[in-house]
Amino acid sequence: MNKITVTFMVNGKEVTLKVGPKERLLDTLREQLKLTGTKEGCSVGECGACTVILDGKAVSSCLILTGQIGGSEVLTVEGLEIDGNLDPLQQAFVDHHAIQCGFCTPGMLMSAKALLIHNPHPSREEIKTAIEGNLCRCTGYEQIIEAIESVASK
Amino acid sequence: MISYEFFTTQKIEEALDYLDKFSKAHILAGGTDLLVNLYKESPRLPDFDYLLDVSNIPELKFITLTNGFMEIGPLVTHSRLIDEPLIKNNFPVLVIAAYTIGSTQIRNRGTIGGNIINASPAADLLPPLIALRAEVELTSRKDKRALSLEKFLAGPYKTKIKANELLTKIKIPLLDDNYYTDFQKIGRRKALSIARLSLALITKIDKEGIFLDTRVAPGSATPYPQSLPVTEEAINGKSIFDIDLEEMGKITSNEMVSITGERWSTPYKKPTIAVLIKRALEKIIKEVKTNE
Repeated sequence: MNKITVTFMVNGKEVTLKVGPKERLLDTLREQLKLTGTKEGCSVGECGACTVILDGKAVSSCLILTGQIGGSEVLTVEGLEIDGNLDPLQQAFVDHHAIQCGFCTPGMLMSAKALLIHNPHPSREEIKTAIEGNLCRCTGYEQIIEAIESVASK
Repeated sequence: MISYEFFTTQKIEEALDYLDKFSKAHILAGGTDLLVNLYKESPRLPDFDYLLDVSNIPELKFITLTNGFMEIGPLVTHSRLIDEPLIKNNFPVLVIAAYTIGSTQIRNRGTIGGNIINASPAADLLPPLIALRAEVELTSRKDKRALSLEKFLAGPYKTKIKANELLTKIKIPLLDDNYYTDFQKIGRRKALSIARLSLALITKIDKEGIFLDTRVAPGSATPYPQSLPVTEEAINGKSIFDIDLEEMGKITSNEMVSITGERWSTPYKKPTIAVLIKRALEKIIKEVKTNE
């Protein structure tokens, strides 16, 4: 099996890595780059725990081979915080108690972030559509939607 | 254990050279079905030694309107179909269908070409594309051919693509203003659900309110998406003022069962598809009446 050399940006930094032909972006982030904020849930694109932003769009990192993304830009949950300051979305999740076990949170944040990048003032319906691919089994969606709404209304 | 060499390219020519050189190559586009199958080591995956990633070929990402046809590159994602004004204005039925696919994450990666080549019985874009009389263009190193999408589909998860061919274009004839379209889908929930049953209806309504050139294509109803000619003929010539919707529902159910035979799911699908055709017809009739 051939190794592929790929260069791409992660959270604003360029990385060049050797990846296996079956290595998913999720594996590269967690295992090679130790960015374990991105979670592995279902591995088949149904739970959204592994959501990252690729070239400005929310994607499931379990459904992308790292070999495919040369030249691209990836933003993970670790890239949201700037100089020790939480992203307004992260702060809103804290303030609205939109976290319980926290497993879905990185994916939720990245889906919400991707939405706000393109649409800073989304409606409640647009928020629901943006996070429809993210499952939460304990916090409850209400607080999560409220947290996103609080940032969207600013 | 699945094992393969991985190639990626940004040029059609290079992709065609690879396909010509390596007969056991599998093509990777958006990956939303393929990566699931790889992860599950699905028996549905064919035997392959090479994985050719075409997802970064810019020349396959176009949407253009030329000479009465919409031409769509196979790498156009579902999200782009939804956002693109050219598609929204000309084929709202395609936008409705694309919007029902997966989730935002899936729609951002999954492509129209992948939906066609994967040829799932439940593929959401296939019923509207069949009803729109879409054509596919297949290119190999030495050849180019076009065939109707309906003829291109060859069975559940099967198409007539040859090992050395790449899907390079989807071509759809434009509809004039007298055409009306609708797409109905039933899933277990709104997001991420595989269609339990879907149906695309396209029809022309003349000045007297008569149905003409009706096209009906259901999804998840037959082994692979195909049109229902008996139903289409039954609707043609009827008037929007007195069409017997119950009767049309029965004809649709019977035609579906004539293709599938009685299956475990028939007691559910038979009445349900009748409801879908009725809903689609009702919606179009209402739209025509409001337009008048």
